[in-house]
Amino acid sequence: MILAAAASSFTVSPDTFGLLAPEIILVAAALVAYLAGAFAGFRHGWLLAFAGIAVAVVASDRQPGEAVSSVVCIDGFASFVRWLVLVTGGLLTLVQAGDSRLGIRRPAGTCEEAGTFLLLLAGLSLVVCTNDLVLLFVALEMVSIPTYVLLGLARQTARGQEATLKYFFLSLVASAFFLYAIVCLYGIGGSTNFADIAAAMRSPDGPGRLVATAMLPIAIGMAMAGAAFRLAAVPMHFYAPDVYEGTSSPMAALLSTLPKVAGVVVLARVLAIAGGGGAAAATEWSGLFWQVAAVLAAVTMTVGNVMALLQSNLRRLLACSSIAHAGYMLVGIAAAAAADPGEIGGWNGIDGLSAVLFYLATYALATVGVFAAITYLGHRWPVWTAQEPRPPREEVSTVADLDGLSGTNPVAAFAIAVFLLSLAGIPPLPGFWGKFSLVTAALEVDGGLAIDFSGSRAWFVGLAVVLLLNAAIAAAYYLRLIAAMYFKSTDRGVQADGGLASGIAMLLCLVAVAMVTFQPGGLFQAAGRAGAAGKEIHAAVPIVPGEQAGSLETASR
Amino acid sequence: MPVSTPTLQALVPALPLAAAILTMLLGRRLGHRAHLPAVFGIAGAAVAAVMLLLSTHAIATHEIASHGADAGHGDPHSAAAAFQTAKRFDSPATLWHWATIDEAIVPSPAATPPGTPLSAPNAGGSAAAIPFSIPIQLRLDPLTATMLALVTCVGLLVAIYSIGYMSHDPDYARFFSLVALFVFSMTMLVSATNFLVVYVFWEAVGACSYLLIGFWFRKPEAARAAKKAFLVNRVGDFGLAIAVFLIWMTYGTLNFHDVTLADGSLQPGVLGVTRLEEPGRIVGGAIGTVICLCLLLAACGKSAQAPLHVWLPDAMEGPTPASSLIHAATMVTAGIYLVARCAPLFEACPGALVAVSLVGAVTALLAGLIATVQNDLKRVLAYSTISQLGYMFVSLGTGTLLGFTAAIFHLVTHAFFKALLFMGAGSVMHSMGGVIDMRRFGGLRRIMPITAATFLVGSLALAGVPPFAGFFSKDEILASLHAKAFPGGHDGHHEPSTVATVLQPVGFSARLAANPTNTPATNWLDGLDRPTVWRAIWWMAILTAGLTAFYTFRAVFMTFSGPERVPEEAAGHDHAHGGSGPHESPPVMTIPLCILAAASAVSGWWLFSTHALSDFLAVTPSLAAPAVAATAVPHAFHVDIAIQGTLAAAIGIAVAAIGHLGRRSDGPQMERFLGPLEWLFANRFFIDQLYSAFVVKPLEALAFVAAAFDRFVIDGTVDAVGRLPVAAGSLVRGLQSGLVQRYALAGASGVLLIVLALFWRLRG
Repeated sequence: MILAAAASSFTVSPDTFGLLAPEIILVAAALVAYLAGAFAGFRHGWLLAFAGIAVAVVASDRQPGEAVSSVVCIDGFASFVRWLVLVTGGLLTLVQAGDSRLGIRRPAGTCEEAGTFLLLLAGLSLVVCTNDLVLLFVALEMVSIPTYVLLGLARQTARGQEATLKYFFLSLVASAFFLYAIVCLYGIGGSTNFADIAAAMRSPDGPGRLVATAMLPIAIGMAMAGAAFRLAAVPMHFYAPDVYEGTSSPMAALLSTLPKVAGVVVLARVLAIAGGGGAAAATEWSGLFWQVAAVLAAVTMTVGNVMALLQSNLRRLLACSSIAHAGYMLVGIAAAAAADPGEIGGWNGIDGLSAVLFYLATYALATVGVFAAITYLGHRWPVWTAQEPRPPREEVSTVADLDGLSGTNPVAAFAIAVFLLSLAGIPPLPGFWGKFSLVTAALEVDGGLAIDFSGSRAWFVGLAVVLLLNAAIAAAYYLRLIAAMYFKSTDRGVQADGGLASGIAMLLCLVAVAMVTFQPGGLFQAAGRAGAAGKEIHAAVPIVPGEQAGSLETASR
Repeated sequence: MPVSTPTLQALVPALPLAAAILTMLLGRRLGHRAHLPAVFGIAGAAVAAVMLLLSTHAIATHEIASHGADAGHGDPHSAAAAFQTAKRFDSPATLWHWATIDEAIVPSPAATPPGTPLSAPNAGGSAAAIPFSIPIQLRLDPLTATMLALVTCVGLLVAIYSIGYMSHDPDYARFFSLVALFVFSMTMLVSATNFLVVYVFWEAVGACSYLLIGFWFRKPEAARAAKKAFLVNRVGDFGLAIAVFLIWMTYGTLNFHDVTLADGSLQPGVLGVTRLEEPGRIVGGAIGTVICLCLLLAACGKSAQAPLHVWLPDAMEGPTPASSLIHAATMVTAGIYLVARCAPLFEACPGALVAVSLVGAVTALLAGLIATVQNDLKRVLAYSTISQLGYMFVSLGTGTLLGFTAAIFHLVTHAFFKALLFMGAGSVMHSMGGVIDMRRFGGLRRIMPITAATFLVGSLALAGVPPFAGFFSKDEILASLHAKAFPGGHDGHHEPSTVATVLQPVGFSARLAANPTNTPATNWLDGLDRPTVWRAIWWMAILTAGLTAFYTFRAVFMTFSGPERVPEEAAGHDHAHGGSGPHESPPVMTIPLCILAAASAVSGWWLFSTHALSDFLAVTPSLAAPAVAATAVPHAFHVDIAIQGTLAAAIGIAVAAIGHLGRRSDGPQMERFLGPLEWLFANRFFIDQLYSAFVVKPLEALAFVAAAFDRFVIDGTVDAVGRLPVAAGSLVRGLQSGLVQRYALAGASGVLLIVLALFWRLRG
């Protein structure tokens, strides 16, 4: 019976291709980019990538609100995250296009890079949509492998190659961990289909029950490890500072956003399978899940922030900051796991998962914005006298390089300040609303806003306190950057030679940040719907594995 | 093509805002043309506001007539017709919704019966989850239309007048940017239809005021005055914040108007017609009184009422156009506006109404007394402003329709003549090389005839001499007060003495038992609502009228009459600008003076005789509410009241003439005449010193202790704690060895730890 279920889940029904239209478009665009670059000498690879992403956005917009095929599941959650991925991808394309003018890389390579980037996006988009463990693993690798390539192409210096290798090796370790989790989950559910495993977990005397006792802790731990690498969360965070520092700013922008989306999706899916659903039998599993997530959250944000305090290299600092943000996101994941599913959306309709999705969006905007700005700034004007030979160009890479930026490039300084303040969570910027919803979600666990410290409540109150303390620590290093830009002076400005595209990306991020600042409601609601959907689809699965596959298939038609 | 009303409503604040931003950004490039955006922006806003006023007036007139006819009443101005008309004004124009929350927990108003005690506003699960958002909406009703027209027109005059006045200032652009920003904030404040938005722009107005008072921030007095104004206003703002919280807890909404929710149900606004229509849906009792007193505190801050009046005289440190026009004619009216807008809330709490009147009367008298011994022309006018605002509060506190409309009436006429007087003073100051001490002036009427003539018109209006504007508005205030003080005409029945009334708290336990929702404090306040108290207020008002006439004419006589005396700074000032001796101000300054003089002369009679303003205001939803409208009395001119008021003014002028006309009256006469009182008045009743001794000094001492504690204990600890993350950082950095095999090992160990912990949890 287990084998039968497994066999059925491996068949791919034809409507899957329709649901995967955006991914197919991205891959097709990637192929066009490769061919055009190799045989037609085409140099505007990033333009092509941007166009491909735009078509994919349109295609994903035309898809049904909810559709499930055998391996692909498009629900509110998937649509929202896919939209987020594509929008972030579009912005990153602009940032990358800016970088190609820096002269560090061969311009002819842009098509290869753009194509590889499109494949990465297609893989990530697939991660979001998949409904099957095998496809999930394949999709995750489809994200990782292009990332290695891009890292390798980005900076062909010793530091750059070192960064690439570090990322490569540690990513492999993480993939191995995650594969172990997949194996365990398959062992429990007898299927690779999410719905089947969830059903097996919930059946009080199903075959998976006994196996689960032994395997579930391993599955959860390993899945967490796999996700932690992508989120850059403890204990798999070590690579981040080294890799960010070694690679280019656009690649750092990519690394700090897209893999985090994958990490959040993996955690959300595993959570939905392993216990968020709320059936009585699953409660203890979710208990395991949220306690681990809460501890990791507290440790991750603290480690990230205290490390960031000491950094003088910009990308290293932002790497530490991105570790801290991963910790904040884990708070929401923990809250989502611990929340009583009967009370979805308590005080303000924001549950843990919705809060994470909202936070992810605000974080991505601000982070891409900062890196776009740094890319745009390019190099500093060298200081030399006419007699001396001109010194080599010096990239903007340290905190000191930002000194006096408000005088030399006020627009970029303002934009960076806004992004950093948003990351620090200063009201009324989007980052504030993000932290607000995370804290609210945490405080709502087990008993609304009442003053009561029993059970999981004490954990979450503590977690909220740790989050707020960390926000205070984080403000210290963000404000240090702003102080450098606004209160210090410099005798050498920046060249702002990073290219028009990265400047446009910076301004687009600024506009988007302004929009979310003044009108957070739209994104709030979208994230809220997505978060609710991210739980529902699995909770709605019938208990008997044989029936549910059929019922979901009919629902899709 | 006619512009739609919502567009005009949006244009009124939008144009000044655009002008402010433009001037801020382009300031230096515009140079001496920096006034252009502000002048045109505010002029556009003024045109829009006047168009709105006219259209609102047309609607009001038309609707009253039709509703009066529908109802079959003989009198088209019946309360019912007015309320029907008011319903027309209860739907604001929506700009956008901010901070939308789908399912907010809102205290359910249904679960809050009127008069619920403060201690348990919403105990238990009496909360409903409904969509919440902060609507950025603009309302338009007669009260708002009147205020908009007033604010923009005065703002326009300020802007035009400042072209001349500020012409030599290096920060020309900054000034105009601030004036435009102020007009934006003020128009938004009076257009807002939500308490939270009111709060936002209340603060914005305060911030603009801070920036304008401290415009010459390099001058220590100006910086100090700005700080003082801001801090004193914060006390009032605190009251407003508490009021907003309490309104939210009590009514479950912050909107003025009714809102139809997504599910079709009606959410009655705090001041919406649905709530106003049903008696008893406005919360009275203890919580209602507390809300009203908090609103009063806010109004006291912004409108410079005792004991928060201390900031206004110091605010004269700012540039004259700002200090005078904004702080005398415009911004300070925000408090009056707030109380008038919340009239139905106050109507439910008689105690709060008495408090309003008492505060007003005390302020009016206090400021009037202080003004009599001031020698600085602008300070005389500043105290006079405080005193006249006190008059308006007295009028508001009567709680009758006549009282509310009279307050707004006085607000309008006061804006005219006070703007005139301040600009006259500014003109004198401009010509006299910045000197403003009246003792050093004399006979200026020969040097600056236009300024002198217009100043005289303004003084007559301020003193309340018929037929100038101030007379009529003051007369209406006195009439509303008279009705409260002498309910049955002059032969009112016997009342217990004032002393007995004030000592009333002694007999409270019985009443408290009868009505447990009230507290002794509010009962005590309610107990003050009796003719004896009102009579005391009446005599205070009459006395103030006499004082007003006295100090106004004292200033006129000292400055403009007698032998010619010009301070030596005037000559130096003119040498610098190539002039020849003291001179009349340029036309850009005198033309606004003439316009305002004409308005001060005739506006009172016109508005009084046609009842245009009072009938118009009476269809504002807040004032057309049955509870307020029930207090309406037929329009009448009370000869006896007019005589009393005029007599007081005449006596005041006569005393001033005896004391100062034709003499070199530098103050010794005053000193002899008043004796020790002069010392009391000149030191402003030692209120500043009291604040200094009981608030500022203790706080400074506390601040010193706190600073020491902060530096040595907190900072020490924080530095230690602050080093903790850094120390932790170095610790963690130790792990960051850069060796990939160590990273992998550490990661794997971490995962192992997680899995072990999970197993341990599962077994335990």
